[in-house]
Amino acid sequence: MVDIEKETRLVSDTWDLSLYKWKIEVDGQMLLLEGLKNKKILGRKCDKCGTVYVPGVTYCRKCFVDIEKVVEVGTEGEVATFTVNLADVRGNPLEVPQVICNIKLKGSDSWTMGNLVIDDWRRVKVGMPVRVHFRAETTGVLADLEYFEPI
Amino acid sequence: MRNVGIISVGYNGRFVSKRKDVNIPEMVQAAVHNALAKTRLTLEDIDAFIEGNMATFEGVNYPNLWLSDHIGAVNKPLMRISTGGTTGMSAFHCAYYHVASGLYDTVMAIGWEKHDEGDAQVGLGGIVLPEIFTMFSFGPAMAGPGAGGTLTGGGSTGGASFQAMSYLAKCGGDVEHIDMIAAQARSNAAKNPYAHLQVPGCTKEDIAKTPMVSYPLRFGHTCPTSCGACVMILTTDRKAKKYADHVAWVKAVATGTSDATTGNLIDGQITDPADQVIATEVAKKAYAMAGITNPKKQIQVAEVYDGFAHQELMWPERLLLVDEGKAPKLLEKGALAIDGDMPVNPSGGVVSTNAIGASAMVRVAEAALQVMGLAEGGHQVPRKVRNAMAHGWGGLFQFVTVTIVGDTKRRA
Repeated sequence: MVDIEKETRLVSDTWDLSLYKWKIEVDGQMLLLEGLKNKKILGRKCDKCGTVYVPGVTYCRKCFVDIEKVVEVGTEGEVATFTVNLADVRGNPLEVPQVICNIKLKGSDSWTMGNLVIDDWRRVKVGMPVRVHFRAETTGVLADLEYFEPI
Repeated sequence: MRNVGIISVGYNGRFVSKRKDVNIPEMVQAAVHNALAKTRLTLEDIDAFIEGNMATFEGVNYPNLWLSDHIGAVNKPLMRISTGGTTGMSAFHCAYYHVASGLYDTVMAIGWEKHDEGDAQVGLGGIVLPEIFTMFSFGPAMAGPGAGGTLTGGGSTGGASFQAMSYLAKCGGDVEHIDMIAAQARSNAAKNPYAHLQVPGCTKEDIAKTPMVSYPLRFGHTCPTSCGACVMILTTDRKAKKYADHVAWVKAVATGTSDATTGNLIDGQITDPADQVIATEVAKKAYAMAGITNPKKQIQVAEVYDGFAHQELMWPERLLLVDEGKAPKLLEKGALAIDGDMPVNPSGGVVSTNAIGASAMVRVAEAALQVMGLAEGGHQVPRKVRNAMAHGWGGLFQFVTVTIVGDTKRRA
């Protein structure tokens, strides 16, 4: 007989998700959070080719050089592309369909992803002008960028 | 570089959802037998083997280890390739390099997937989950109107939906065009005895009735998960005639990669998924290698990697086979049909049959069969095929492979 109590042990600790980095450029992410705290969107600009990345990646994908220059981009932009969730994961129709967008913010070359809150999802069009809706109280987490809304 | 000919294409049988009657080595072996039977070769004549399959889609690692003796590779070189959706064509290119370099004369390339043994989402999860997981430590919205949207585009269909909406905005097309091209694919598949989803006479209305997955993409716009294997045998120009009655010459191979973004708030989307600049660059390289100056005239048929139906319109534009923004109009005119001016995916394409590790190889295999005039069941293009283009797409939406095959040898 195996005595479970003796053969195994419980480790009491937290599972620290911040241990996992994989490919994520934490620096660009922290910069974004710092901006969100002050209701600003920060990114980085490559000195060589001028490409602006949001979040601010730390090396340029095109020039393969480090980027340090921090720039503020607009909180307004346009829908670059979108998709709509009409059902939940079990296939039940959603009362309020979820519009997930890629947004091209003014001054940024890369797209930023978020939900668009709109009365009727059929009205969403590529090129539609939108703005960031920040949470009332921002604390420096991704959720501070609560959603996008039409202008 | 030596000239290389494709002398055989073998399938294990019709691609289907489930093959519970065979295991992985048995399924692949059937395609090996089929390919050999169409030639005067025996296994002893094969100098090297290349195997291609999606990593972890069967929930196992290195299934090529089990294959070695079932495909007759014992005591011979066996190499595994796994590059996502492009896997099958990467494996084919690898076989081409083997022969063109002069290191080996006759090489077998094998692409396969057995989706009933595992779950593709497990494999995809291993790619995307690390990003989502890491994101949790930065406090994304978990409730309220912003929940989930910053995390991910919703797997491959979500990402493809972004691409579809961007493509439609660029070309001025409509969701109805995606219904039309999907209907063409399903009815073409009905003329290909090896295709998975065969719907004779499928209409755009049939497609528009299927359930929505992620707007604008419906079930009918989406590829199935198939089981099946494709085998191709390549050899030198000196040996081709000795071994087989039919040969399709490899006139060009080209490949390239763009950035690895899946579209989320961690990385941002760095390139528009509908731009596919890399596909155009790779196509140009391939045309130069093949000596093709006017692809619209010199290519008679194309097999493109359309995991989702809108891509069957987008790729011909990006690969310079039709004018930019014109694919929807050409579709309306019937120009992309089997008997059209630029037939696209007479086989039914990936959207009708997707055994992923095989899919990009099947594009080359089908292109070769079109050149040889051996496409079965009514999907042979009626006019003479001098050159056919095959295209693959994979990785994190980033890899592109192109192969051009023709009825004459490549001019060195």
